[in-house]
Amino acid sequence: MGKKRIGIIGGGISGTALGYHLSLYDNAEITLFEKDTIGGASTAKSAGTVCLFDDSLRNRYWDVRLYGFESYLKMEAEEKGSAGFDKSGTLVVATSEEVESVIKTGIALTKAAGYTGEYITDKDRIKEILPDICTENILGAGYTEDDGYFDGTMISNTYAKKMQKNGAVVKIGVGVSAVNKENDKITGLITTEGIDYEFDYVVDCTGPWSKFTGEMVGLDVPIWHTKASAFFLCPPGKKLSYDFPVLKYPEFYALRAGDNIFICKSHLSMDLNNPMHAGQWDPDKLPATGGTDDYFIDFLLDQLECKVPGIVDSGLVSSWLSYRAEPKDFLPVLGETPVEGYILATGYGGNGVIEAPAASRDLAKLIMKGESTPLLEDWAFSRLMK
Amino acid sequence: MKIAVLMKQVPVSNNVSVDPDTHALIRSSSEGMINPADLNAIEAGIILREKYEGEVVAFTMGPQDAEKSLRDALAIGCDEACLITDRALAGGDTIATAKTLAKAIEIYGEFDLIMSGALSTDGATGQVGAMVAEYLQLPHVSEINGVDFADESFQITKKFQNNIVELSCEGPASVSVCFGVNSPRLATLRTKRAAKNKEITVYTNRELQLAEQEVGIAGSPTLVVDSFAPEYQKKAKMLLGTPEEIAEQMKELISIERGKN
Repeated sequence: MGKKRIGIIGGGISGTALGYHLSLYDNAEITLFEKDTIGGASTAKSAGTVCLFDDSLRNRYWDVRLYGFESYLKMEAEEKGSAGFDKSGTLVVATSEEVESVIKTGIALTKAAGYTGEYITDKDRIKEILPDICTENILGAGYTEDDGYFDGTMISNTYAKKMQKNGAVVKIGVGVSAVNKENDKITGLITTEGIDYEFDYVVDCTGPWSKFTGEMVGLDVPIWHTKASAFFLCPPGKKLSYDFPVLKYPEFYALRAGDNIFICKSHLSMDLNNPMHAGQWDPDKLPATGGTDDYFIDFLLDQLECKVPGIVDSGLVSSWLSYRAEPKDFLPVLGETPVEGYILATGYGGNGVIEAPAASRDLAKLIMKGESTPLLEDWAFSRLMK
Repeated sequence: MKIAVLMKQVPVSNNVSVDPDTHALIRSSSEGMINPADLNAIEAGIILREKYEGEVVAFTMGPQDAEKSLRDALAIGCDEACLITDRALAGGDTIATAKTLAKAIEIYGEFDLIMSGALSTDGATGQVGAMVAEYLQLPHVSEINGVDFADESFQITKKFQNNIVELSCEGPASVSVCFGVNSPRLATLRTKRAAKNKEITVYTNRELQLAEQEVGIAGSPTLVVDSFAPEYQKKAKMLLGTPEEIAEQMKELISIERGKN
């Protein structure tokens, strides 16, 4: 079988997960280009929550969630810390019957897969899990102690190591300045070092940069940036007396980060038509820390005051702003484009850590065997051209 | 007790650019934050206010954008804030800056104590606090570790040649506070929101009425002949082997380093 030469642009969770899954095929000749560091930028700023049930990804994509979760558990089992797993458990709060129904279905799927999960309506029991929560105006909460959050940077580096072990080449500190094509067919790319590479496929795994990357082949990648304004809080009294689980409300989520608590407005509550929430910006201009808008402070303060009042007076240790890459339906953009050989693996939005393993598994199959999958059909670029 | 804290907005990152002509730092290219030692000065000021009542007023001179750091100071616990901003003041050296700050303090009102951070993370001259004191003709103690008030005087501790020195100084006075001498309190989401709506006093040179040749670049006798980033060298070396072998290697390295002194 002839070799397939594949160039991957971007060394975040998307690029490294794809690189690893491609490297499992003997006839894949892979080179990954990362202009900065592996698992940096938006991957490093990801919360990394992979919860067995929450509203971040619809239950119809349960296999995507489970494949991601179990891929990382396997990684951790092979080498402790390689996926940065913090098994904090997750409490998903039901504030409406619609959310309650989603949680209950998620719990059923979780239990069927052999993990624990319970839907709790006893408010004292909910307060036992999260003493600082206000249980007024909630219907109940789903809880599992089996999941938590992972470290996107660690995972990306582990995938990068694994793909290198399988023979792939990873170029760090090397950007891509041009993508070459002839008659609307990809022929290769040119790096910022001025070196020409020939490829059969070039895969855009650049997330928030995809708009600019796509322009190199004349493609308008239909993604917007939504602001991920994250705040790190130091609880009153400096240290919590209990283990803070991943906490999910439809409007925001929180998790422990060492002795601090990380909070962020959820990506599905962002409105692409609201210029405070979304736009098309230059990710290169993002500061490493800070850069958040007062709007998000007001929003999260209002949320915490009524939902988790026990932590509302926490000290604000730091904050950062990241851009999520979101198509208008908040689902990834995967697979072929009108430019033959130019493949997209972008638009994961706030779900890159959850979705990248399953999406990369299927995308690798498409590239190497030409076989599509129901997931790729669902998340195809063509859906956004209608 | 009325306390003025002089603070500076410094770049968050070390990755700042340098003007090729003037060799001055281009601070607008990076996100700003309150200079870390100034946070220690603010904390020391707030502790005094909590003990003896009064108010803490934060002063900063800089571009309009420096208002962000003043709002952070208000969120941390300062009572009032004053921004001194004017194109005519831009590019000033430590002398022009101190002259401007001193004038602003004079106009703002009387203070019992003027505090500043001992060093900034960008310029790191450590001169402005003492110069302001000189212009205001106040006694100044530099690089202090702590300050309290007793017997109608400020009781100051500072380290000097590995000794702790205790000083007594009548007010009004000026001190510069060392980095790390206390744990600066944090703003909360609630105080951040409250600070957003607080009024900030803004002085331009219209209020200060300083002669143009006294401020900004024109009022700055300092000439920066060159500025450059230190050469970046990766010199980390992994020590490998058994714990005993690594300990032996560390012992040898320590003895080599000792020999250098």
